[in-house]
Amino acid sequence: MNKLWIIVKREYLSKVKKKSFFVLTLLGPILMTLLIVLPVVLQESTKERYHVIVVDEIEKTVIEGDTISFFKGKFKSNENLLFEYSDDITEAQALLEGGLCDAVLEIANTNDKPPIKSFLFYGENEPGMDAKSDIKEQTKEIYKNSVLRVDYNMTKEDIKIINDPQIDFYTKDIRTGQDSKAEIKTVLGAVLGFVIYFFIFLFGGQVMRSVGEEKTSRIVEVLTSSVKSVYLLFGKIIAVALVGLTQIVLWIVLTLLLIGGVSLAEPDIFSAPEKQEIQVSQRVISVDSLDLTQEKDNFAQEIGETIRSINFPLIIAMFVVYFILGYFLYASLFGAVGALLDNDTDNSQFTLPVTVPMIFAMICVPMVMNTPTGSVAVWLSMIPLTSPVIMLVRIPFGVPVWQLVVSILSLLLFIAGAIWLAAKIYRTGILMYGKNLSWKEVIKWFKK
Amino acid sequence: MKNILQIDNVTKSYAKKKAIDGVSFCVPEGEVFGLLGPNGAGKTTLIRMINQITMPDEGMIYFGEDKLSEKHIPLVGYLPEERGLYKKMKVSEVVLYLAELKGLKGLEAKRRMDFWFEKFEIKDWWNKKVEELSKGMQQKVQFITTVIHKPKLLIFDEPFSGFDPLNANLLKQEILNLKREGATVIFSTHNMESVEEICDAIVLINSAKNILQGRVSDIKQNFKKGEYELITVSSQIEKVLPSGVEIISKKEDENGIGNCISVLKIPEGMNADVLSSILKQTDIISYREILPSMNEIFIQTVKSGKQQ
Repeated sequence: MNKLWIIVKREYLSKVKKKSFFVLTLLGPILMTLLIVLPVVLQESTKERYHVIVVDEIEKTVIEGDTISFFKGKFKSNENLLFEYSDDITEAQALLEGGLCDAVLEIANTNDKPPIKSFLFYGENEPGMDAKSDIKEQTKEIYKNSVLRVDYNMTKEDIKIINDPQIDFYTKDIRTGQDSKAEIKTVLGAVLGFVIYFFIFLFGGQVMRSVGEEKTSRIVEVLTSSVKSVYLLFGKIIAVALVGLTQIVLWIVLTLLLIGGVSLAEPDIFSAPEKQEIQVSQRVISVDSLDLTQEKDNFAQEIGETIRSINFPLIIAMFVVYFILGYFLYASLFGAVGALLDNDTDNSQFTLPVTVPMIFAMICVPMVMNTPTGSVAVWLSMIPLTSPVIMLVRIPFGVPVWQLVVSILSLLLFIAGAIWLAAKIYRTGILMYGKNLSWKEVIKWFKK
Repeated sequence: MKNILQIDNVTKSYAKKKAIDGVSFCVPEGEVFGLLGPNGAGKTTLIRMINQITMPDEGMIYFGEDKLSEKHIPLVGYLPEERGLYKKMKVSEVVLYLAELKGLKGLEAKRRMDFWFEKFEIKDWWNKKVEELSKGMQQKVQFITTVIHKPKLLIFDEPFSGFDPLNANLLKQEILNLKREGATVIFSTHNMESVEEICDAIVLINSAKNILQGRVSDIKQNFKKGEYELITVSSQIEKVLPSGVEIISKKEDENGIGNCISVLKIPEGMNADVLSSILKQTDIISYREILPSMNEIFIQTVKSGKQQ
């Protein structure tokens, strides 16, 4: 055992002392922050608005003394689009050809009934998908509103209600009275699943490379003459786990510091919304008090609310459990694969069987997100090779205890098998060079 | 003489092929023991079993009186044919790490490392990364890692490969020093010259089997063909030779003094007759028995093994 710790110590120190570790640990949180902040900043600072000149050729209508133009002055400019108006199509098109605007929207005057014909002419700058659909939707919306106003004589207030029928829709858990936050749970589950996937690949890959390095540098021959080969494999697996843990702890600490800085600057971000009691057929239900003048809910508030409504101790505990178990499962398999690697042979044949189940699990994540209690989700969350990812996706939605127990027990059982298998492959593979190493050859070792 | 290692009817197979097949021999304590054999004969497999990297399928290996076990690991030092160290690690770190794995404690390991670094004049290199060293330097470092824990049994697999003649000689002297200090050396090589120079006893493995073993001097005696080299002043010796003696070759000394060098095949017990008859004819400058070189013995034994 003493030797195991000597190995762990060396592996740990040699990895932590690497420049890449330092850089990744330090830059990780900063890069993450930049990745979030930069696009916003860039979008705001450099984006030029797409300049459209609207030519409305539909005949004006006069209602109660007002001249109503269908489209003129109705388009809303935003951070991406800038609308201006002209009455003369040839003049507008001349401006477009002269490069003084990006596009001309002509709404043609057709004598017959709908459809209204509208043309978006563009010059050098073809409109992007977003701009095109935005212009189209606005055109439709304006036309609809104008029809309602002119043909059906509706007031502005009527039209507003039709467009936004002001219904507050609540999804409540009957046992707890809490709001369902399926969207955020879905995102949380997917993020957790992805984190597990990412780290298992990252760290499993490190174990594999590290084993392969010792094999190709041939130092393994000296090492195995000093210690049992399983110690080498597990020393590595433990050391990489500790390195990973160190890195994650540092990331969390640094990220918390960053978030701390943000909340100091913006103290209101995580404050709770006020509750309001409503009488519904003799029952009182508490809902968020909605500010009806405000069109959008405060997204940050909703996140804060959800964060408090989710069973975090369970999720964190399960995340740790599946992270560790998943890591040990895949790290031992990756370690075994590392022992098979050789410069002379085709290495992908060895890595594929280990990576495919994980990739398969990732492919299944969207399906599991949509139906977290479907049979595919339930099975995949209990089958060891996919359970570390899939179960994490399901956990925010609540998972029956028996499924958790079965999933963890089968994972443990599978790990025992994987470790046995890995130790055996490692022991033999680490000393094999060239020799057309293949799975067929590996199977032979087990037949003996 | 005590044996430090006893290989007893050991067999080891990979898949269907037998790499070692019922091999037995003993390694006497305090000697340099040659483990010889052509490529692919099973030497490395045998060495790996002695190092407990792999276990025999059948048979036993004894270290001194005991069955070979984990407690013997610190008593063995191994320099594999394929050398390798951690390229990105500092020289001193690699040496200390490997010493620790052999059970040496930190301070003691450091003291001995300093001793060897000084001896090999590579003290300035301790803080460099292994990859910055020349190949010869790396070999020296690897040699140090093999001997730093003062093992009772040293196993060198082709130790001279990769060394220039100067360093090879240094290494040879070190191996003999270690022997003088009481260590036993198992020495695996193709270089038969070095076998003659430093080995006391050998075993020859071919096609997984032990085909020849014994003390180098005994083996040479066994393989001698009764041939003698005779240098005489006159070349007129044919007439006086007793019957039964065969002249294999005869030529004039190339140094130009005119002496005649003959190789004779003389039946056992006739030495005195031959000498006295020749002395009647001419003066004898030298007369010696020709013993076969290990190289010849190696080739002859392996070839005859193949014919069978």
